[in-house]
Amino acid sequence: MLYDRIFAGALLVLSGLTAWTAYHFDVPFQYEPLGPKAFPIILSIVLAICSVRLIVKPDANAWLPNKEILIKIVSGLVLMVVYAFLFEEVGFIVATTIVGAIFSWLFGEKPLKSFLYALALSLVSYYLLADLMELNVPTGLLFGDL
Amino acid sequence: MDVLHYLSIGFSVAFTPLNLGLVLAGCFFGTLIGSLPGIGPINGVAILLPLAYSIGLPPESALILLAGVYYGAEYGGRISSILLNVPGDAGAIMTTLDGYPMAKRGEGGRALALSAVSSFFGSIGALILMVIFAPLLSRLAIEFGPSEYVWLMIFAFTCLATMVGKRPIKTIVGVVIGLLLATVGIDSGTGILRFTMGIPNLFDGVDFLVVVIGMFAISEVLILLESWARNDLKMTPVGKSFVSLSDMLAVKWVVLRSTLSGFLIGVLPGTGASIASAVAYGTEKRFAEGHNEHFGEGDIRGLAAPEAANNASAAGSMLPMLTLGIPGSGTTAILLGALLMFNITPGPLLFEQQPEIAWGLIASMFIGNIALLIMNLPLIGLFVRLLSIKQAYLVPIIVMLTFVGIYSIHGDSFDLFFMIVLGIFAFILRKLGFSLAPVILGLVLGEVLEENLRRALSISGGDWSILLNGTMTYILATATVAALVAPKLIKKFKT
Repeated sequence: MLYDRIFAGALLVLSGLTAWTAYHFDVPFQYEPLGPKAFPIILSIVLAICSVRLIVKPDANAWLPNKEILIKIVSGLVLMVVYAFLFEEVGFIVATTIVGAIFSWLFGEKPLKSFLYALALSLVSYYLLADLMELNVPTGLLFGDL
Repeated sequence: MDVLHYLSIGFSVAFTPLNLGLVLAGCFFGTLIGSLPGIGPINGVAILLPLAYSIGLPPESALILLAGVYYGAEYGGRISSILLNVPGDAGAIMTTLDGYPMAKRGEGGRALALSAVSSFFGSIGALILMVIFAPLLSRLAIEFGPSEYVWLMIFAFTCLATMVGKRPIKTIVGVVIGLLLATVGIDSGTGILRFTMGIPNLFDGVDFLVVVIGMFAISEVLILLESWARNDLKMTPVGKSFVSLSDMLAVKWVVLRSTLSGFLIGVLPGTGASIASAVAYGTEKRFAEGHNEHFGEGDIRGLAAPEAANNASAAGSMLPMLTLGIPGSGTTAILLGALLMFNITPGPLLFEQQPEIAWGLIASMFIGNIALLIMNLPLIGLFVRLLSIKQAYLVPIIVMLTFVGIYSIHGDSFDLFFMIVLGIFAFILRKLGFSLAPVILGLVLGEVLEENLRRALSISGGDWSILLNGTMTYILATATVAALVAPKLIKKFKT
């Protein structure tokens, strides 16, 4: 099965959903002829036409990842989701140390060196970002009183 | 003279200590980011955008910083192209063709110096053209009504579709996805909610920063993960670095021609550095035929042409962004989004009502390019050393900066998860051969396009013929048709 066909099929469904949702917008009052429905409906028609053309004339699959690469990509993704969870909960310093170390290790660094690098990175950048640039960086539970 | 008066306002803005520091910092980091293999100007600007926004810079300063990163990265992109044969982004691909063979011959230093000088003249030439044409274009654009703007945007999307990428249909799909993303949130005309799926975070619309960072930076990390598993890079030695007068004289016409064509292509909405450098390279190759031509084997003309052109197009693409509010490239689309976040709508009035922004930016670009030339000649060794920074150290920094940047906007973890979802989507798009610039262009122009379309039809009372009313609409409609058929005709003539 060609990836293009699967994707175009999904787009076709999306365009249908968009048009249906837009058509059923509840507009209590409207002062202009076009209103909020027309633009999304026009777009969904264009999208539907393009999707059909892609289904009829798809490109060959250019992406052929092996198992090793897929595992790498998925683990990178999981890691970012974990980072998003930890970021606010345990705070910037701890989260960045853990996630940064694993990322560094994923890119081929030795475990101990990765950890030390990520620790140094999180401490230095916490100082730079939170203190110097006064950005909104979560401190987290551990260092709540810093 | 008007222009000189405004230019002096611009320089007085650009020479304040804050802005001077920012343009230098922007150029430095831009060169740095551009020289790292795989991270081009668009990613650099995207990663730094939320930071520039969150630290509360005034709009003109934020723009000066981000623009510095943009053209700094165009300079930096040549370093990895020449030394590693790895272009930082699509605009630097042509530089590898003759730059890398020179480096292999042991002339890396000569190639780097010559390309820096070509880049400099490309940028400065384009800036001078911009100073001349910006007031003219904004005077013309002041007459534009909603119908003209609708055509202008359709023209931009058509140029994008027929000139960028292999499959026009995929570009159109990208634009439509971007336009649809722009409709999410409260409709300004009636106040109803559209496509928010009941998520309160989406009531204000999708946050531009979250989309940009998610689509560019997050998907880039995934691509880096993939490509790292495959290959490791080998660096060629730099050799002696010098600027030779005879080299410069030998390419003076090449640089001039490439600057002109690069600027014009940059001004065309939707087309950016990648097309400019390809056209310049192709043109010079034809010019050089029979004149001791060694294109592809390390000919200095083949190196100077794309470098002058891609820097000229970077400056050129700022012109429609500032005067019309229509970005000339993916990166200027991000800059436009940045301005909109500051509640500044670029357009013909920007040059007169807020000269400190438009002219301050132009003046800072003159300063920045001089600084870049100075940075890139003696400091080249520093950037080359930074090239060998391991990805194991680089990727954690990228991930950290994106998360901090996005979190600090609203202080809400929702944005982080939304960013990752968009990153996955963008990764799939890239793997299927869609490019991301059309999506961003659609996103920034979506609201303007819908607004103008609705305004036009309000004026006419629902009559669609208002879209073809007046000389300018005919000209723009003809230009759109020309952009649609011209590439096919040119192909036919060639064969």
